[in-house]
Amino acid sequence: MTGSSYTNEGGTAPSGGDTGSNPAVVADGLRKTYGDGDDAVVAVDDVSFTVDAGEIVGVLGPNGAGKTTTIKMLLGLVTSTAGTATVAGVDVATNQRAVYEHVGAMLEGARNVYWRLSVRENLKFFAAIGGADPVNVRDRHDELLDALGITEKADVPVRELSRGQKQKVALACTLARDADVVFLDEPTLGLDVESSLDLQRELVRLAREDDVTVVLSSHDMDVVERVCDRVVILGDGSVVADERVDDLVEVFATQAYRLRVSNEPGLRDAVAATGTVESWTVEDDLARFQVVLSDQDAFYDLVDAVRENGADLESFESIDPDLEDVFVELTSDDEPTARHDEPTARHDEPTARHDEVTTNDDEPTVADTEGTRTSPETPATDGGGES
Amino acid sequence: MSYRVLLEALARKRVVILKEYPVNTLTQLAVTYLFFAGIFFGGKAVAGPAITDSLPGIIVGFFVWTMAITAFAGAARSIMQEAQWGTLEQLYMSPYGFERVMAVNAVVRLLESFAWGGVILAAMLATTRQTLSLDVLTVVPLVVLTVASALGIGFVFAGLALVYKRIENLFGLFNFGLLFLIAAPVDEYPALAALPLTQGSALLQRAMTDGVALWNLPAIELAILVATAVGYAAVGMVAFRVAEARARRDGLLGQY
Repeated sequence: MTGSSYTNEGGTAPSGGDTGSNPAVVADGLRKTYGDGDDAVVAVDDVSFTVDAGEIVGVLGPNGAGKTTTIKMLLGLVTSTAGTATVAGVDVATNQRAVYEHVGAMLEGARNVYWRLSVRENLKFFAAIGGADPVNVRDRHDELLDALGITEKADVPVRELSRGQKQKVALACTLARDADVVFLDEPTLGLDVESSLDLQRELVRLAREDDVTVVLSSHDMDVVERVCDRVVILGDGSVVADERVDDLVEVFATQAYRLRVSNEPGLRDAVAATGTVESWTVEDDLARFQVVLSDQDAFYDLVDAVRENGADLESFESIDPDLEDVFVELTSDDEPTARHDEPTARHDEPTARHDEVTTNDDEPTVADTEGTRTSPETPATDGGGES
Repeated sequence: MSYRVLLEALARKRVVILKEYPVNTLTQLAVTYLFFAGIFFGGKAVAGPAITDSLPGIIVGFFVWTMAITAFAGAARSIMQEAQWGTLEQLYMSPYGFERVMAVNAVVRLLESFAWGGVILAAMLATTRQTLSLDVLTVVPLVVLTVASALGIGFVFAGLALVYKRIENLFGLFNFGLLFLIAAPVDEYPALAALPLTQGSALLQRAMTDGVALWNLPAIELAILVATAVGYAAVGMVAFRVAEARARRDGLLGQY
């Protein structure tokens, strides 16, 4: 869910994995096979996508989908069996050292730094390893420490810090070399909410203000939805979706509603005539039900059906999918309905996200709990509702 | 990019880690010293004053062994430690290049070996009340060339560590193998000079016990020393590169 003040509204990333004019990362037909012959295991198969400079892209997928292998091939840490990887305009296979002049990566979270060294000693070390003279980048290190809220810990050995602080140190060290492209594997894993938000805020700031390109993998869909411009979803080693987050969620949006109305004879049949009724309970003369409509216009039919049966509409909610629902949809064992180049929505399964709906006399509006996303246009109703 | 900056960074990190593990650091020194003391006092009890004749050779042998182990085991242990800590891939992603980072790291270990070798040497000389010729212009080049071949073997083991990670027992075994190389009778069996450490150890014995200066050592023997130093260092780097390619192919760099 998006919603904080640092969300990516208005990001400039191209949608749908279009190749922008300035790609910072290009994966082209990447394939990785471990082992030979009958024992060969295909970890990644024909993965292609691009990431533009200043874009934040999430690489998602269930365990074993090939996320880490893909990222490591992009970094040259794992050699690809086929395909090419280009980072900052440099071919990873032929000129790794030049790639590493532009790249920082946090692949092991807090383990990426030396716990026996102090925070500043770590920053100096990783700046030096990254080709910078620590003396010349001290100001940048101060800025990083300040941005991540760990300035007062600068001289403390990392082992004495909390997990969240260690993770922040790892991120700071990743950025200590002034990287243009940053790869982050599960950057918020194990962090408390506050630390996670700090990290997310810094990532968005880096992309927006410093034009740093960020490629991150995470199982935390809330983080991805908040931070990423675009997601590349992998399943069984292949790309199953490459879309802007908003577009992807919209494509999977359903016309599903949850209503609470006064129960009247014949109401259920009337509602069933407008769409698929997925649950129906009656309690204290109130009928509570969930209905999936075929299209937006059917909502008018639903409202008419309620009225014509003399029922009062007490409240309704639209049920929109979030990224997690889309992710589950695309990566579940069931045949996914979305394709890499043309995702399609399916309406046969209810989704879990419940955007509260308030109604007024004019037009129902979706009040996303974090206030940044609205549902597709919802037909007007004059029914009263909960506020 | 500056190799001075890289050397400083790796050296500073090493010093901090040594200070952070004082018991471990002191134990290493103590074990080496106690090993020598056991031989010295045990030999004195058994052989009496006769051991005095061979003491200079034993001291030089221990001195070389201490430095060779520090350099050889340091290279392999670095890989294992970095893999365990989760920092190996970070070192790999240096624009200097992984081999260069590890080579500079080897220089740090070489410098460290001088420190430990010096401490052990001083302790041995104090214990035995012996004196040796310590002409810096002779000893330092000979030690560097001698230890270089051990470093080469260290890189072979570092490569094995990249792929197999846990090889402590293997190089623990080789640590004692180094003793035999250091004591190898090169004068009697010249072919042994082709092995790592052997030629350097023999030349150091002459330089430190007999006071022979570097420029007075036979040119052919110095040439063999240089050739074995360069040769084993090169073999080590090639083996390391092969292992690195294998580790990348099999996705083993980040494993521990």
